[in-house]
Amino acid sequence: MADAPMPEEARRAAELIGKADIVVGIPSYNNSRTIGHVVRAAYAGLAKYFPHLTGVVVNSDGGSADNTRDAVLSARVEDRHLLLMSTPLVAAHRLSFPYHGIPGKGSAFRLIFSLADRLQAKACAVVDSDLRSITPEWIDLLLRPVLFADYDFVAPYYHRHKYDGTITNSIVYPLTRALYGLRVRQPIGGEFGVSARLVSRYLKRDDWETEVARYGIDIWMTTIALAEGFRVCQSFLGAKLHDAKDPSSDLTAMLQQVVGSVFMLMQEYAPVWRTRGGSAPADLFGFQFDVGLDPVSVNLERMVNAFRRGCQELGEIWAMALHADTYAAIRKLGREVSGGAKNFHLDDELWARVVLDLACAHNRHPVSRGYILRSLTPLYLARVASFVQETQELVSAQVEEKMEQLCLQFEKLKPYLIDCWDGRLQPAAKAGETPPAPEPAGPPSAAVEG
Amino acid sequence: MVETLREVLQGALDRLHAQVTTHLPSMLAALVLVLGAFLIALAVRWVIYRIFKGPAIDKFLRQSGVAFVLDRSGRLRATRLVAETVYWGILLTGLLSGLSIFNTDLTTQMTQSFVFLLPKLVMAGLILLVGAWLSQYLSRSMLVWAVNEEFPYPRRLAGVVRILIMFAAVVAAADQLNFARTVFLTAFIMFFGGAVLASSLAIGLGSARGVRQLLEEKKEQAGESGERSLWSHL
Repeated sequence: MADAPMPEEARRAAELIGKADIVVGIPSYNNSRTIGHVVRAAYAGLAKYFPHLTGVVVNSDGGSADNTRDAVLSARVEDRHLLLMSTPLVAAHRLSFPYHGIPGKGSAFRLIFSLADRLQAKACAVVDSDLRSITPEWIDLLLRPVLFADYDFVAPYYHRHKYDGTITNSIVYPLTRALYGLRVRQPIGGEFGVSARLVSRYLKRDDWETEVARYGIDIWMTTIALAEGFRVCQSFLGAKLHDAKDPSSDLTAMLQQVVGSVFMLMQEYAPVWRTRGGSAPADLFGFQFDVGLDPVSVNLERMVNAFRRGCQELGEIWAMALHADTYAAIRKLGREVSGGAKNFHLDDELWARVVLDLACAHNRHPVSRGYILRSLTPLYLARVASFVQETQELVSAQVEEKMEQLCLQFEKLKPYLIDCWDGRLQPAAKAGETPPAPEPAGPPSAAVEG
Repeated sequence: MVETLREVLQGALDRLHAQVTTHLPSMLAALVLVLGAFLIALAVRWVIYRIFKGPAIDKFLRQSGVAFVLDRSGRLRATRLVAETVYWGILLTGLLSGLSIFNTDLTTQMTQSFVFLLPKLVMAGLILLVGAWLSQYLSRSMLVWAVNEEFPYPRRLAGVVRILIMFAAVVAAADQLNFARTVFLTAFIMFFGGAVLASSLAIGLGSARGVRQLLEEKKEQAGESGERSLWSHL
């Protein structure tokens, strides 16, 4: 087990508190605007639903420069705003520490889990600090299945706008479901409930300083729970409304960290996923209701242009990573886009093959996996553009139906994945397909209009 | 007159005879050695192709990307690599042994020079191989980065990176072989200096536009705080 770095003040606080039943962790970085609300919700949730248990709310901060930690420590919960059926026996502790190590959400989680382990907490919940829609009920929904129904891992289940969470919808959910056989709809949701047993398992791992330290943490947690046979369920939390991500945040880096973590874990758990077929629904707690959602704007033209550019420039890398048929289909699509075709459509089967081929290439070329993963960005944007175009007129139930079709396609291609993984199918470069010469730039405006 | 002519011809024939009797056995022996080495090399290569399997080397070649450097299709296998290395090694040994049979100053010097140069040649070859691998890796990384960041002319940018690194490798290899050191080093400094200057100018000119754009974006964001980032799909 790699020693978890814990700041001295956190160690002292843990010694002072001694023992706690529940830890609610809130990772943060410059979230002073929203974190007060999240802390109040966590505090109220503990007081309202677990008055007989000792609770600790821990903020693990990545060196915010906007007084996030002050906002945590000064957030007040007025008792009259809580409808308490019984007086809390013990007031929840509230702590805020900066974490050390690689900056990122994963490192923040590591500190939270270390504290939970040290305090011998029976359950630990983690919630994002940019949430605007969190209520005290979320704390109950994330912790109750762990505390009273022996589940080890509670994943969130939200209503999201059809264009929100596209990495989840296009890659992570269908792939995780096809690999490990359980339908966890939001595997990288950001809010989780975890048992002491699973916390201890996480802390024993020695890959905290990989992509896991950053955005890879969510899928890492979910995959370990699924692959190692922990009991997993979901809780319906309503709507996920959160602050817009930092506009300067880099999509490619985020994609690389999340998808890189999925692929990295695929290697480790290959013996597990090879034997699992189909998928089963995961238990779902909570009362489902319809909610209003924030609109999500997408720039279709920019996404199609990114794909066109990728087709013009990245032939040699895609040829090295994609199977000959997949690569030929992508090239054909690229030619259509460059030729100004109106009907841009990257179908489910082709998309599933792209993702599975890249997973195999990631496994085959450990040295080159950095640029192989980054070359996914234009393909991913093409898929999102195609999805947006196809679902413009659809309501969420119909979009979910389309999602189901995509997931079934991933499940259907499991034998293909195994063949590709074992090297029985060759990428285009080995099959003799030559990468195209750079094509002349396409028409100035996009073929597809939003 | 006839006698003189006869003597001249006799002398020429004697000299030719002397030359042939002195050198022909050596030449024949050298030819036999080279031919023997060639046949052995062929046979050994044939045997290696049939019996040698190097899955660990294959895995290294494939995973490190060296296979793609030596063969664009990436089909290079350990069997081929080992068989060809052994083939050329035996052939070269045969040639050197053949040369040494003549036992002249020139052939001895040639053999000694080659033996002395061989480690340096191997080292220079390795430097070029590492340079080729690095140039391919970094140029591909640059290409993908430039495409994703919407940089103009990504392929040219990647090409510049590839040439720069390959040039550095050639300079290092030439230095290893003591071959035209100054010429290569001067050319490299000029080329590298030029590239740095061009990049500085490009960054300087580009950043002015970038800063302007950033300020405009900040202003827009302040006005439309509700609008979400384009990439907030996670």
